[in-house]
Order: sequence, then C-alpha cells, then structure tokens
Amino acid sequence: MDSGYILTFAALSSQFLVGLSRAMILFIVCSGMSFVLGVLRVPNVAHGSLYMIGAFSAFSISTLFGGSSTGFWLALIISPLVVALVSLIAERALFCHLYEREHLMLLLFTFALMLILGDLVKLTWGADYRSIMAPPFLRGSIPIFGSSFPRYNLFLLIVGPVVAISLYLFTNKTKIGKIARAAAVDREMVGAVGINVSWVFAAAFVIGCYLAGLGGALVAPMVSITLGMDHDIIIEAFLIVTIGGLGNMWGALVGSLIFGITQAFGVLFWPQFAIVFPYLAVVIILILRPTGMLKSVW
Amino acid sequence: MLKVEGVEKSFGEFMAVNGADLTVGKGELVAVIGPNGAGKTTLFNLITGQLKPDRGRIVFRGEEIASIPPYEICKRGIARSFQIVNIFPRLTVFGNVQVAVISQQRKSNTLFHPAQGMAVEETNRILESLGLIDKAWNTAGSLSHGDQRILEIAIALGNDPKLLVLDEPTAGMSPEETSATMGLIKGLAQERGLTILFCEHDMDVVFRIARSIMVMHQGRTLIQGKPQQVRENEEVMRAYLGEE
Amino acid sequence: MGRTILNWKSFLPLLAIFLILLILPPLLPRFYTYIIALMFVTGLLAMSLNIVVGHGGLFQFHHAAFYGASAYTFALILTKTSLPLWIGFIAAPIVAAVIGLVIGLFCVRLTRLYFGMLQISLGSLIWAIVFRWYHFTGGDDGIHGIPMPPFLSSLTSSYYFILIVMAICLAVIYLIFKSPFGTTLLAIRDNPQRCEAVGINVRRHQLAAIVIATFFAGMAGVLFVVLERSVFPDLLFWVLSLEIFIMCLLGGWFTFLGPFLGAAIMVSLRTFVGIYTEYWTLILGIILILLIFFLPEGVMGFLLEKFGSQVAGPRERGIE
Repeated sequence: MDSGYILTFAALSSQFLVGLSRAMILFIVCSGMSFVLGVLRVPNVAHGSLYMIGAFSAFSISTLFGGSSTGFWLALIISPLVVALVSLIAERALFCHLYEREHLMLLLFTFALMLILGDLVKLTWGADYRSIMAPPFLRGSIPIFGSSFPRYNLFLLIVGPVVAISLYLFTNKTKIGKIARAAAVDREMVGAVGINVSWVFAAAFVIGCYLAGLGGALVAPMVSITLGMDHDIIIEAFLIVTIGGLGNMWGALVGSLIFGITQAFGVLFWPQFAIVFPYLAVVIILILRPTGMLKSVW
Repeated sequence: MLKVEGVEKSFGEFMAVNGADLTVGKGELVAVIGPNGAGKTTLFNLITGQLKPDRGRIVFRGEEIASIPPYEICKRGIARSFQIVNIFPRLTVFGNVQVAVISQQRKSNTLFHPAQGMAVEETNRILESLGLIDKAWNTAGSLSHGDQRILEIAIALGNDPKLLVLDEPTAGMSPEETSATMGLIKGLAQERGLTILFCEHDMDVVFRIARSIMVMHQGRTLIQGKPQQVRENEEVMRAYLGEE
Repeated sequence: MGRTILNWKSFLPLLAIFLILLILPPLLPRFYTYIIALMFVTGLLAMSLNIVVGHGGLFQFHHAAFYGASAYTFALILTKTSLPLWIGFIAAPIVAAVIGLVIGLFCVRLTRLYFGMLQISLGSLIWAIVFRWYHFTGGDDGIHGIPMPPFLSSLTSSYYFILIVMAICLAVIYLIFKSPFGTTLLAIRDNPQRCEAVGINVRRHQLAAIVIATFFAGMAGVLFVVLERSVFPDLLFWVLSLEIFIMCLLGGWFTFLGPFLGAAIMVSLRTFVGIYTEYWTLILGIILILLIFFLPEGVMGFLLEKFGSQVAGPRERGIE
C-alpha cells in the first residue's frame, strides 16, 4: 500500500471510528467483567465463553427467522438472556458454594467453566464458521470525512454509549445496583445490614454475564462466529479491566478505548504487528500505574 | 542504644503517633504503656520499619534507621514479635525458628546445601529455653494460642537480637499465663543480656519487672522514667483516670 | 534424626522407577514412548511453575511465556544459525531466565492479583510479537521440522535424552527445595510480613525464585523441541499457562512431586480421552470442578494425607 495514501486525514479519521466502534464491543463485554470483578473479586475466565455463546445463539435465532431483520433484533434481545440463564444455572448450581473459599479456587472454577462451556458450544453448534447478516439498513457503508465507513460500526457507536448510560443509571439509581456497588466496596457491611450477600453475588454475576452475551450478539454480524473466539476476547478483557482499574466501570470504558484505538491505528501504521500495539500500550500503562488508570474499587 | 525523638505518623487525618520520645539503654527492660489507641503498636511498627515516620528521628546504636526497610533493621539487631499472632502456620515449630536463625546466619540464599542439618543447635537451644522443644515437630498452626504467642518470641530470638521488641506478648493470655510468660521474658533478659522493649496492658506486671516505663497518651509521650516516678506523675494519673 | 538427603531407603524406590523408565522404550509401542516423554516435558514444566506457586505463593499467571520463549530461542538457534546444539541448549533456558528476571523485576513490586495481571500482560505481549513476526518466528505457523543432530535423531534416543535431563533438573529442584533458600521461600509463602521482620529481603528472594522457575521452564521448553521438532505460538498462549496451573492444582501444590503427577494425568487425559471423544476439555472441566469441590489439596496431597505415615518421614509426621 502507498504510505502517502495511508496517512490522509480521511484514512486516519475513519480508522479512528473503526477503533472506536471496536472499543464499544470491548466495553460492553468488559463492563460486565468489571462488574463481576468488582462485586465478587474474581476475574471470570468463563466470561469469554459466555460472549461466544451470545454470538452463537444470535446465529441460531437469526437463522430461525431466515436471516430477516426481525431475526436480528430478536437475537439481540434473546441471546443475552440465554447467556444470563446459562450463567444463573452455573452460579446457583456450583459457583455459589465456593464463595467462602480461596480466590484462586474461584478463579480455577471459572476456568473449568470455560473448558466446559467451550465444549458445550462445540457440541451444540459444531466447529464450523458461522455468520449472520445485519438488517439491510445497517449493511454497507456511508461516506464520512471523505472515506467510507461501515454503517454497522456507526450503529455500535450509538449502542455503546446507550449501554454505558443504562449501566450508570442501573448502578446509581436502582436499589439492586446500589447494593451491588456497596458490596463491591464493603461486602461485610452489606451482609451486616441484612441483605442476602449470596443473592447479591448471583445478581451481579448474571448481570455481568448478560453483558458478555450482549457483546457476543452485537459482534456477530461483524465477524465469523467460531470456536476460539472465547480465548481471544478473554485475555483482552482481562487486560482492559486491569488497565482501567479493577471493578471500575468507567475504567472499563477507558481501557476499551485505549485497546480498540491503539489496535485500529496499529492496523494503519504497521498492519503486521497490529495486535502487538494494544498489548504494548497495556504493558506501558501497567508498569507506570500497576493498579490501573482509574481508581479500583478494591 | 535506641533513641526515638519527636516521631510522628498520621494515617490520613488521624495522628496515630504525635510526638513520641523514647530512650532504651543497653541491658534495660523498658515498657511502653498507655490506654488503648495511644499509639503503642504504631510506635513499634515505626521502630522496626513496618511503617515509616512522617517526622522525627529513630537512632539505633548511633545509626538513623527511620527510613530503611524492615529486613535491614532486623539485620542491624532489632527483632520483634507481633501483637496479633504472626507465625508461619504451615511450617513446623522448629521450621519457624529455623527460618529466623538461617536468616540471622545470612544463609537464606544458600541454594545447594541441605537446610536440614542447618542451625539445629541454635534452634533447639531457643526452643528449649522457651519450653517448646516437645512440640518442635508440630505444625505451628496447630499449636494452642498461648504456645503460638511463645513461638512469636522464639522466632524473634532466632535473630539473636541486640534489642527485642515485644508488642503485647501476652495478648489474649490468662492472668496465670501472663505472669508465667513475663517471668520467662525476664529470665531471658538476664540470661542472654538482652535489651527488651515491650508493651503490656497488665500494670502489675509492668511495674514489677520494667526498669523504665514510657507512658503514651493520644500518640504523645507523657513521661519516661523509673516505675516510682511514673506512679507519682500527675499527668499520668489524669490520662488514665480521664480514660476510665 | 540423622535423615540425610541421600537416605538410601527413600532413594531406592526412585532409583527403581528410574531404572524401569530406562528399560521401557524397547518394550513399548512407539506411541507410548512418545506419550511418556511428553509427560516428562510437561511434568518438568509443572514442577518449575510450582517453585513459585506452591512454594513461593506467587500468582505466576503466565508461566508458558517463559517455556515458549525458550523453545523458540532453541528452535531459532538451530534453524537460523549454524551454532552447535549445545549452545542453543544452554542459551535457551538462560534467555527464559533473563526474561523471567526482567518481568519479575516489574512484577515483584506488586501483590497477588496485580502481580498476575501485569505478568499476563507482559507475557501476552511476547505472545503477540511471536504470533505476528512471520519473518523471524514463522508467525502463527510456527517453525516445523527443526533439524536434530544424529544422537537425537530417533524417538528412543530423544526419550533417553529427555529422561536424563529431566531427572537431573528434578534432582536440582529437589535440592533447592530442601536448601535454606527453599525453606525461606516456604516461609515467605506462609507469611511475607513476618519474613521481613526476621531479616529476609522478601522481594529479592521472590525474584530469585522466579528466575530459577523460569530457567527450568526454559529447560522444559528445550526438551519440548527435542521431542516435537517444532514450535508454535500456542506454546506461549495464556491458555497453556492456566493449564500448567491446573496441573499443579490437580497433583497438589503443597507436595514435591504433585505437579508432576498432575501433568502426567493431564497428558494422559488429553491423549486417551482424546481417542474416544473430541470433547476432552469437557471431561477436564468436570474433573477440575470435582477436584475443587472434593480434593482442594490435589491428588498427591490427598494421598499424602491418607497414607502420609508411609510416605512422609518422621519429621513430617511430627514424631521424634
């Protein structure tokens, strides 16, 4: 490619928007992870698997409706709920019995869950590549700053802030959100005022996983849905919530933006090493500020 | 031997230690007393390096030690016990003390020499003098509370300290255990020529065995002097009566 | 007392096992020889992680990065340079240890989860570079068909080589565990604050443990190349790191040989369950959950507790 062309304003700005929309997906997934991390103090390794289930069930629902727009919108609504249900079952059946145990055990449990869910996905959907179509009005591109920009990415740029605002309202205005936030800061106190901590944990876990499912459903039209997408997203999510500040929702947003945008510009400047840039950014941030950019709730 | 001058330490708004002075002479048995929250533990943590003072000087054998890490302070000859039991629960009683002795002999980094035969004599001597030798191969975490408290002291002795700092060595002990333990400590001091700085809530014990007593109140030093002087000091009376 | 390290009574069973392993290859089908050799490599890897996890109490979350880095170094020296094998053999683990030192320097300042997170990020950076640097590392294809000198040309000779190197490494790790350094490391795992108060420089000690552990991970990496003659980016992927962690848990991280047993179980699971079903990770996940619920001290820990009096010496039993 001609480097003179690459560095035009148009290319830069459109790549910036691509990075931004990628960041929105990451944010939706990571805010869920961060939420769980804040309340339960456990990095949920299975979070990526739930994201993958979100994407696969979006595929199934969309296929059920013959790839129509109705199918897409239903997929967007139903598949996060499917994921939430799966996580609720896992939490109530197994996870909730481990809360008194060492953190490492909780972490390993979520890893076991990841292994199991990964194979269950393989059992259910097989190892083939799947894809779904966005509704017609979200397909194709529109010109922005003199270069074309995919409409679906634009759609994500609207959905991301909507999710951020709803999450903000949820944690600050609703009772259960406030309890969850309080539990993140001081779990003893929440127990002391007579709230069933176990159910607070369950609610936080399910809500966090719901967001993973939502992220999976939203990403479905952009990527090929396949086994292994859990592995790819989870490590990114780990790093994002860490650079943002463990358990801090706005930190997840900041982290996602850094990750998404450095990757997008990496593609522009040195495509071969595009995936290296976000990791490099993360390493630099963590060396300078090991506890993350924003205040951790811990 | 140890001189603390005008030391201050705050945690946010709260001044935990607000002007503490303390002198410990060689071979002395010095007690720090004061109501709960007077800042005794914080002062000890400042002396042994777990905390760094905001202001003031801590001089040990002619050397300023206020800003060096705890392990360096320990190497200079100050060992301590903790108010809350602070041992190595998964190691044996023997192992607990042995680790300290090995550290004292500067052999913690030795890689290719079995630790088994190492420091056995010293460790056994310490365990014997504290009456723990029968339990040497028990896991430390399985000991009774009283024995764990004694083990605390044993670990500190493992460092063969010049100054032994004991933070409420009898916390949680019955009156009988308390006086037995304090007798043990006094015996140690005489036998090994140790200098000991300790704090203790049982006043009878303190006035019976301490050579010099420092009284803290609201983070400040009220007085340091002989038991007789302290007993007669009006400020001390007021501090204690005001509290209770 | 008088129980020394080389007590013949406790040494004999080990010697017997070693001898059995020596005569195995001619008696076994090729495939089994290969699987056993793979167990040696993976076992050494798990043992190396346990130096810092089980004995050091550190959240070494990206151990595979060092294993893979060494394997790649070895592979690159063999394919891109004309240096003799033995240089690669020495250089690769040293490279792993140096990376361990650098990463460790950053990580030991931090505690627990932050330690782990920083390590994951640094390890992932290494992975990402290896994954995309096609000209040098072969990118996601890896490097295959790495040439081996004649004395390592057959599977049997590789087996013997791996067995001997592994045995030496395990002996050295054992000596380290039993040394004052190892004892101190145990004490640090139990109570770092108390260690500082008895005059131990905790961070420097932990750093030394990381360097030692990464060196042995590097040895395992070299042995992997000897066995497989290929390297690929999955060797430094975080999933492998977690798997090694699981091996330690599976076998029992408070025991010496537990991680080795865990690795052997894991390799056999993957191989033999893998023959019957492609869903072996499902089985692994279920086993893991059972383990977390019922055997938190691991298989070896369980055995020691159950039959401890026969396995452990008088010191461990508390009788003297």
